[in-house]
Amino acid sequence: MYKISIEELKDKAYNIRRDLIELIYRAGSGHLDTSLSLVEVWLSIVHSDFYSLDAKNGEMKNRDRIFLSEGHACPVQYMINADLGYYPKEELLKGFRKPFSPFGGHTVRNLKYGFENSNGSLSIGVWQAYGNALETSNNVFCIAGDGEFQEPTSQGIFSVPLNLKPLGNFTLIINRNRLAQDSEVDLGPIKEVAALYNWQTMIVKGHDFNALGSALQLAVEDKDRPTLMICDTVKGYGGDPNHAGKLGHHGKPPGNDEEYQAYLAGLEAGRRN
Amino acid sequence: MEYTEKISLRVAFGKALVKAGETRTDMRVFDAGTKNSTMSLAFERAYPDRFYTAGINEPGMLGLATGLAMDGKPVVACDMSVFLHHAYAQIRAAVRQGKGLHMIIAATHTGIAVGPDGGSAHDITDLARMRLIPNMHVLTPVDGNQVNQAVQYALDNPGFYYIRLNRPAVPIFTDSDAPFEFAKAHHLADGNKITIVAAGDKAFTAMEAAEQLGDGVADVIGISTLEPLDTDAIIKSAEKTGRVITIEDHMYVGGLFESVAGVLARSRPTPMERIALGRILTTSGEPDELARIYKVDLQELVERCKQFIDG
Repeated sequence: MYKISIEELKDKAYNIRRDLIELIYRAGSGHLDTSLSLVEVWLSIVHSDFYSLDAKNGEMKNRDRIFLSEGHACPVQYMINADLGYYPKEELLKGFRKPFSPFGGHTVRNLKYGFENSNGSLSIGVWQAYGNALETSNNVFCIAGDGEFQEPTSQGIFSVPLNLKPLGNFTLIINRNRLAQDSEVDLGPIKEVAALYNWQTMIVKGHDFNALGSALQLAVEDKDRPTLMICDTVKGYGGDPNHAGKLGHHGKPPGNDEEYQAYLAGLEAGRRN
Repeated sequence: MEYTEKISLRVAFGKALVKAGETRTDMRVFDAGTKNSTMSLAFERAYPDRFYTAGINEPGMLGLATGLAMDGKPVVACDMSVFLHHAYAQIRAAVRQGKGLHMIIAATHTGIAVGPDGGSAHDITDLARMRLIPNMHVLTPVDGNQVNQAVQYALDNPGFYYIRLNRPAVPIFTDSDAPFEFAKAHHLADGNKITIVAAGDKAFTAMEAAEQLGDGVADVIGISTLEPLDTDAIIKSAEKTGRVITIEDHMYVGGLFESVAGVLARSRPTPMERIALGRILTTSGEPDELARIYKVDLQELVERCKQFIDG
């Protein structure tokens, strides 16, 4: 299932969360809550047996690809790619959200660093990712938010197997943390709609490496249909338990040392459990 | 004015795609449910495996085309201009992927020349919208031959291009083997009293006006590349004539007039006039009828040139 053990993955998740909390607290801005909700999802993809990457040669022709459509989650992308060895973590800590650095407030395409797409406005990356998968035999994953599917242009992607063609190498992952910037969100019958348009669909526990690994395996094994993986996650997972899963913390970093310590305490408590 | 034949710029575009496809086997063409209007249908018939239709879905088409360009293919995305309003965010997002991409956006049915389909179908702000996007080259070929050459040029030189292609037949007056000179204006007539700067299919109208005004009166500059603009040619002509008038099938806001005015205001302040559409919502009518109603036709150009010169 994975190139490394589940225990090693859990250690990575802990370290990534700790570094994300520090990164965003230090920067004074950034979307910590969304990033924390995607740690296991992202780690599962890049450490799956099948996943092809070369951190020393980001532009490698036969690489698998992750498009991040909900671009405000870029800190988790930045931190995991540092861990994979695309660049030193110190470069990220120094450059995050700074002028002309490769680590802006939303991703800027940079294949050397493993960033497939420049992102921003929601719904655009979903279509770019599908277009990117049209003529490659490599796997293309697109990570999108559940709030993003309030955009009608995002919802349109489900009809693409009918209107263009079905692609077996494409997997759409919806990060269902049920919280958008200003309100709760409900995906509604999106899974059923996708199934009617002949997608392989699944609902996955988004913080469970075993569940994620099995689901990703099924996704890449289906060569005829695109896959929709709805990953149930908690916004702010593994941080301050008083914030996790609650509205009102979108894009808000820990505001002072006390809040920062509350995030770290939540992280440690989560590790003990 | 003498010319051998007329061809609609969109018909010339369809032919140019097919011709380019003979050697450029890597290029891909997308359309959003308008292939028999944009003439990308000709390409689909010739190379069905290299053509994609996104359905009536402009944002989706632009996203898909961008994604395939990110996979290393030169892509051409075709649509009727007015519908590309739906995909403006996607066009901006495409350019944000970086200069390594190779994308050509071809817009047919521009301006009031679309005619009887009515104001909802008249795109008279496309040039302004595209000029606002960094790294977007904005091309307005002056006739069918230049459309063919422009398509070839854009395919040979990676980057982002917008090509404006009008529907009505336009006289062919350039040589078929004259190359597309990117960012270079066409010097179409020599004169000393007034400079006429014309974009796209209005270049022929400007030449007709020059003929009516008489030998040596109008210096005519045809614009096939609006962005980046051939500022040297405009400044040089303005220095010679001391008067500049522009003509375009586009709103004056953000189009040719303001481009030229912006250059001259900084480098060579020169009295100017404009033949362009105002900030208006247009109506239905035959193209010639609308050009008369909105005063963007040959007759208006000639009269305004005379008044300007007599000033």
